[in-house]
Amino acid sequence: MYRRWLWPSFSFPGVLWLIVLFVVPFYAVLGVALGTVDPILFQPVPVWNPLEWNVGWIQEVLNRLAPGGIWFDVGIRTIVYVTVSLALCLLIGYPVAYYTARHAGRWKGVILILIILPLWISYMMRMLAWVNLLQADGYVNRFLMFTHVLSQPRDWLGGNSSTVILALVYGYIPYLILPLFASLDRIDRSHLEAARDLGASPFSAFRNVTLPLSKTGILGGAVLITLPMFGDYYTPNIVSTSPTTSMVGNQIDLYFHGGPQPTIGAALTIVLAAFLTLLMAYYMWSIHRAQRDVGAVGAL
Amino acid sequence: MARGEIELSKLRKEFADVTAVDGIDLHVPGGEFFSLLGPSGCGKTTTLRMIAGFEQPTSGQILLDGSDVAYTPPHHRNVNTVFQNYALFPHLNVFDNIAFGLRRAKRPKKEIRERVGQALELVQLSGYERRKSSQLSGGQQQRVALARALVLNPAVLLLDEPLGALDAKLRKVLQIELKALQQEIGITFLYVTHDQEEALTMSDRLAVMNGGHVEQVGAPQDVYEDPETLFVADFLGVSNLMDAHVVSSGPSACKVAVDGYELETRGTDLDLRGAARIVIRPERVGLEEHGAPSGPNRIPGMVERLVYVGSAVQVIVRAATGESLQALVQNTGQGIPWEQGTPVQVHLPSDAVRVLPAEKRAGESE
Amino acid sequence: MTTVAERQPGTRFSAAARVRGWLRNTWGKPRFLVLITWAYILWSIVPVLIAVQFSFNATRSRTVWDSFSTRWYWGDSVDSVWHDPTLRHALVQTFKLAGADVLIAVPIGVMLALGLARWRGRGSGASNFIMLFPLVTPEIVMGVSLLLVFTELFTFIHTGTTAQILGHVTFSISFVVVIVRGRLFSIGRQYEEAAADLGASPFVALTRVLLPLLTPAIVASAAVVFAISADDFVISQWLSKGGETDTVPIRIYSATRAAPLPSVNAIATIMLVSTLLIVSAGFLAWRMLTSGERRTGRSAEDFGSAFNLS
Repeated sequence: MYRRWLWPSFSFPGVLWLIVLFVVPFYAVLGVALGTVDPILFQPVPVWNPLEWNVGWIQEVLNRLAPGGIWFDVGIRTIVYVTVSLALCLLIGYPVAYYTARHAGRWKGVILILIILPLWISYMMRMLAWVNLLQADGYVNRFLMFTHVLSQPRDWLGGNSSTVILALVYGYIPYLILPLFASLDRIDRSHLEAARDLGASPFSAFRNVTLPLSKTGILGGAVLITLPMFGDYYTPNIVSTSPTTSMVGNQIDLYFHGGPQPTIGAALTIVLAAFLTLLMAYYMWSIHRAQRDVGAVGAL
Repeated sequence: MARGEIELSKLRKEFADVTAVDGIDLHVPGGEFFSLLGPSGCGKTTTLRMIAGFEQPTSGQILLDGSDVAYTPPHHRNVNTVFQNYALFPHLNVFDNIAFGLRRAKRPKKEIRERVGQALELVQLSGYERRKSSQLSGGQQQRVALARALVLNPAVLLLDEPLGALDAKLRKVLQIELKALQQEIGITFLYVTHDQEEALTMSDRLAVMNGGHVEQVGAPQDVYEDPETLFVADFLGVSNLMDAHVVSSGPSACKVAVDGYELETRGTDLDLRGAARIVIRPERVGLEEHGAPSGPNRIPGMVERLVYVGSAVQVIVRAATGESLQALVQNTGQGIPWEQGTPVQVHLPSDAVRVLPAEKRAGESE
Repeated sequence: MTTVAERQPGTRFSAAARVRGWLRNTWGKPRFLVLITWAYILWSIVPVLIAVQFSFNATRSRTVWDSFSTRWYWGDSVDSVWHDPTLRHALVQTFKLAGADVLIAVPIGVMLALGLARWRGRGSGASNFIMLFPLVTPEIVMGVSLLLVFTELFTFIHTGTTAQILGHVTFSISFVVVIVRGRLFSIGRQYEEAAADLGASPFVALTRVLLPLLTPAIVASAAVVFAISADDFVISQWLSKGGETDTVPIRIYSATRAAPLPSVNAIATIMLVSTLLIVSAGFLAWRMLTSGERRTGRSAEDFGSAFNLS
């Protein structure tokens, strides 16, 4: 009905923009990371021809990340932080999403708005709120001393792993709850009724019907928060003054903003991106498998 | 040439993985209520969409009053469509919906007002101009869709299962209204449906489609009582089908053998021999008392089951040949003389039995 | 478990029996879920409310409440948002970037959504993939790549406002596409076909029928783009050249690592209120414009799930 060139031409400006300002910049990162460094000025010298690429810096980065290297701790710590944060987000987020989707009744709309609300509140503001609360004379310390859990104020912001994890959970959990909610909401009540009808206890119905059917939601939400979390540097910087809680992202930040070696920063970025691509591929495969297992029923 | 005459010539539509329309030829003279009937996937909707212009044929011609419009865009064709879901523009009220086409044709305001008013009168919705489509019931929306299409005086009106979304009672009412409307206006209505009862009641003529081609074209009575293929016999109404062996065939009468019993049947123009199938409608199957004087076309049987359907009773008989036959006995208020498990004599009148080729054509669904 | 049917008329449940029934109600709401949900909501929102409260603190403390005052907004002649040039410029810059982002990303995104949803030929798959990629790319990777491209490749654009705008638009386009595409799918092709059937040329069908029907999605995506842009930290920071190109999130970030005054709370509160107002306006516009088509009770979820990717 429409001319054949119409829709491709509509796509043209957007695709062109994304190619120039999204795809090409990736190539710039490759060019710098696989380039050389001017020995006198310590400036990066990007190399644009793939045939002349120098993998030396990538190797350097991998060495530093390997056991014994100076970044080994950072890498392990990042993985630990992300994993623990993900676990906590799921532990807290799944019941909330489940309740909202299946049991909220007439409160559903209100709760949904309250759950979506943090997404519109600036991330920085949410972190600021916690920084204020965690000050030496902030409400957290005052409350804990009031209830005699602490005898004197504790330093939460001086380099505390649990503070960083708490901040990560606080910051990212809304992005997990939403896709979880969406997938739980889509489960037809009749599936659960059928399970109960056939003799399953409430817990068994949950474990054998609801949980499998929400798998793609869990995986989708996990992707949505872990990928950005691996690159997070600002959260540790805000809630911790010590470099002992730094993550991989902090190293990248350091080499670009704190020192004269963007090439290493670029190389680390490439390694991080490669790692995340692998992670992403794993997620996609898991989602594909979960969808295939559930079949048409769980077209989530 | 009469206004609203459609001629499809070797019309073919292939999609990436399936051939939806497999080279059909069809001729619809102007002013007819013509239906395309068939199961889902038979190609009837695709054919309609090609006539409307929303799909381009892979090959073939679509002649509208003599000129080939197969590659003309839809907004230049003199046909209008009533969509299955009505497709009333949600952001416009009833008046603006109906006026839409007239405004595209740049008609003067006064004329638009007049014609919209007339169209609303035609569908009995005068006074509804300011309503939005979300404020109308299903039946009312359908009538607005009708008015919107008819106000442009098309040569042909295409209707794509327009009554599908309505409940049974409303459907019956609207069937009668649509038929009356078509007779009043006099233009060609091309009606697509999968409901054979609907097609039979409303059409002047109909085409039964299956698997992308046309099985049979004709008036409802002819298609129902003289099915030419097994598919048509099976699709329209209920039929009793039996395997048979052709003894002799000719244009005025045929003789077949069914498991040892010889039957005379209607004649056929097809040259049939060997294995074949015979078909007879339940309302033509006669039941006689066991022990009644025998005669040609009679087979003994046993009553298996009785099914009460209100105006009639279905008597399921197991014939001596081994097959189950259904006879329809009208409820005359005097009781049914047949009981489950009693023997009975089945009479298949020779002018009610038709012989059909045994094999369905390749590619047809069972 | 005592059921209603077994109860003799006239007897009352004992308190213990009622509690037991409350806890064991198989189809009722498991109580701990209710508690967790509301505890979560409080934990999620109360800290922010406290931060808002302290923006109105009369003293310089962000932790000890004194009394209500607007000094940090306009009262204090040195450090209030109105008087402190760094804070003021940050506000201006944030709105500048967000406004430019909306004006550029929404039209490009709407066109891209239309193009991708209807395009069937070669290249459509790749284009779709390119569009989805920014949504899953970590911000730091994007920040690094944009910084490098503006310092090593397209060096005629240095860091600064232009670079920031270009960066913002780049990650915003995908959001617009996803939102508009969702709406396109629910509309379907029937209205354009009906329009063509009634004599409308493709251009008229597009402008008079399709675009009006897309308006709710366009408005909603504009609100979303504004919110995302105003909240953005990483891209803005990496492409900033300091001073006046710093945005509110950047200011908050640097302030929390130093010794901030409640004026930081104030500026954060201003952005919070602005964003919430705009998002609410977008949501209300969506509701109003789709009022005729709405099925009961799903509009909040429609809005939220319009850009659900799974």
